[in-house]
Amino acid sequence: MKKFVALFLALTLTCGLAACGGGNGSGDSGSTNDDSGSSAAEDSTDTTDEGGSDEQAAINVIAAQYGQNTTKWWADFVKDFTTEYPNIDLTVEVESWNDIYTVVNTRISNNDAPDILNIDVFANYQADDLLLPAEDFVSKETYDKMYPAFLEQSDVDGTIWAIPDLASARALYYNADILEAANVEVPTTWDELTEACKAIKEYDSKIYPWGIDMTTDEGQAAFAYYTWNNGGGFVDDDGNWALNSAENVEAIKYAVSLVNDGYTNSDPSNDTRYDLQDMFGAGQVAMMIGPNSIPTYIADGGYSINYEVAPIPTNGGNDSVSAGVMDRFMCFDNGYSDAELDAIKTFFDYFYEDERYSDWVLMEGFLPATSTGGEILAEADESMASWVDIVGSCKFYPTAKTEWDDVKQGVINVEQQALLGGDVQELLDELQAEIAE
Amino acid sequence: MKNKFFRKVEPYIWILPSIILMAVFILIPIIFVFRMSLSDVSKAGIIKGFSGLANFTKVLNSSAFKLVLKNTIVWTVSVVCLSTILGFILALILNNEFRGRKIARAIMVFPWATTLVIQASAWKFIIDTDYGTLNTLLLRLGIIEQSVNWTPTPEAYFMWEIACGIFVTIPFVTFCVLSGLQSIDSTYYEAATVDGANYWQKLFQITLPLVKSSLTVSTVLNIIYVFNSFPIIWTITKGDPANHTDTLVTYLYKLAFYNGKQGQAAAVSVIGFLILLVCSSVYMVYTLRKGDD
Repeated sequence: MKKFVALFLALTLTCGLAACGGGNGSGDSGSTNDDSGSSAAEDSTDTTDEGGSDEQAAINVIAAQYGQNTTKWWADFVKDFTTEYPNIDLTVEVESWNDIYTVVNTRISNNDAPDILNIDVFANYQADDLLLPAEDFVSKETYDKMYPAFLEQSDVDGTIWAIPDLASARALYYNADILEAANVEVPTTWDELTEACKAIKEYDSKIYPWGIDMTTDEGQAAFAYYTWNNGGGFVDDDGNWALNSAENVEAIKYAVSLVNDGYTNSDPSNDTRYDLQDMFGAGQVAMMIGPNSIPTYIADGGYSINYEVAPIPTNGGNDSVSAGVMDRFMCFDNGYSDAELDAIKTFFDYFYEDERYSDWVLMEGFLPATSTGGEILAEADESMASWVDIVGSCKFYPTAKTEWDDVKQGVINVEQQALLGGDVQELLDELQAEIAE
Repeated sequence: MKNKFFRKVEPYIWILPSIILMAVFILIPIIFVFRMSLSDVSKAGIIKGFSGLANFTKVLNSSAFKLVLKNTIVWTVSVVCLSTILGFILALILNNEFRGRKIARAIMVFPWATTLVIQASAWKFIIDTDYGTLNTLLLRLGIIEQSVNWTPTPEAYFMWEIACGIFVTIPFVTFCVLSGLQSIDSTYYEAATVDGANYWQKLFQITLPLVKSSLTVSTVLNIIYVFNSFPIIWTITKGDPANHTDTLVTYLYKLAFYNGKQGQAAAVSVIGFLILLVCSSVYMVYTLRKGDD
């Protein structure tokens, strides 16, 4: 008898384990609504509450973690949203930037794409026909709030596939006290920058005059800062890849020369932007190019330096170009019912309500992607007004092109190879050829 | 008759949960990786169709792969060999009777018991040129006058990573060998002493042959662990600059999740799997057969 009991237990355990393994493919494992009236576990895209008058819908969101406040902000958002719309079962999963690509790709591979995704890139998903056009999942009223220049960044063949959630712009930050002590003006050109670095180095050899980040994390930003301000860039006027242009070669050579001359942080391949921001806050780096969120970072870090903001230095008489970084919301085509599409539109209407949206943008010190949000923030804070102007005119990475991942990693590799003594022209020629394949 | 049949089947029923667990969490993922390595995979991770050996060809033809493979061999051989030698010596020391032996053994566990990411972060913090504790300490002691760049070249970075790898691997070897040492009957040594054997003769004629099985286990497991180790290199350098400190595991992670080349990443994974399979099998067969002889 005992053996039969043991056998029964073993079989039960086996079945239980098998059930655990098989549950992976179901739609909404993270759903917070486990009411017996809902059949969300069976089919996340078709959930109806037979007892209620409103149709029940479940939305699953994966959002990027911008900083320490993001998770709490989304938790409050979900609470408020579900209070106001009890028929919409909203789940928001906040993922760090280190993990989000892994999580999303794994879920897509398992046919378990989220409904809404907040991330920086979209072209790979669009190329696989996984996305809905923006106009299908955003109400016209909300759509019209977006800056057109931002929407254009998500344009593939005349269709907008994602909407911007926030942006940041880059500018030159300098430690005013160090520059004054070294008796140098704020550099506006590369020649002036070199001179300023030299003067600072002579003033105090322990200070790094210039901060530079060529890491796997954000080395593409360095490529943008120098090439855009030398008349080059990732693409030419026709939008074709132009990585090995003469301007780009000159720009990267100049950036590497700053490192080789000892004017920068000692390890640009490993010092991330956050390392630089810490060193800048501690007065160890005199100048660096960074995002508009640096003041928040410096204040949160307890640093007290006297710093100012200026345009990024340029070369060859080119106008200073600020680098813009924009993140997006996109909606995966999971075969929605009308009720579910309405629920998704409701989500975006609620998110982009002016005050709530301003709160979202200010949460981690970013810039708004909607005109109404911009107006509110500019009125509230004068320093923000100038950033809102900058972000309206800056250049963005060509993330609408599917080769962007390769280009991004490629230019970082070129920079790091150049730091090790590689020939910039040869390296960029190779990269251009590889991308063109 | 019925009872006899049940007895025959019973052991298989008991091991069934383990088999199912292994199938779900080991075998099926391995099959998936093999399938992916032979498939055309989109950047979003969708399998578009069979692509033959195209992923393998692309990987093997890339200049980075040769460098990464070389790094992986240097990394694995250095960490496994040095940690085995040092771990063996430490085990011999810890096997002696001395005051505070228990505390010493407890301290030995710390590097092993701490998460690798934390270990690697601590090492990174120690050797950093700008805010590293090593420079701070040497400056305070007046040994150096200005901060030293401990990682001036990619090779120097890699050496520090290897040092970190050795540091965290030693405890495992030590405890494996220690367990072997404690199972050796002391009468062997007594008899050898009576026969006039010196320390080295006892070490090579008694100790080593009797802890060989423990050393084999620890070495084979270490080859697998170290070869597949991700956190140390990822935390300290992320394989930078330009793949100079990448091993196969960090390289395939970048391929999959930074470059969106999941098919090629799977191919690298399969290559790594095959290398490990061959190395571990050869080592095990060789040492065990030698033991039988």
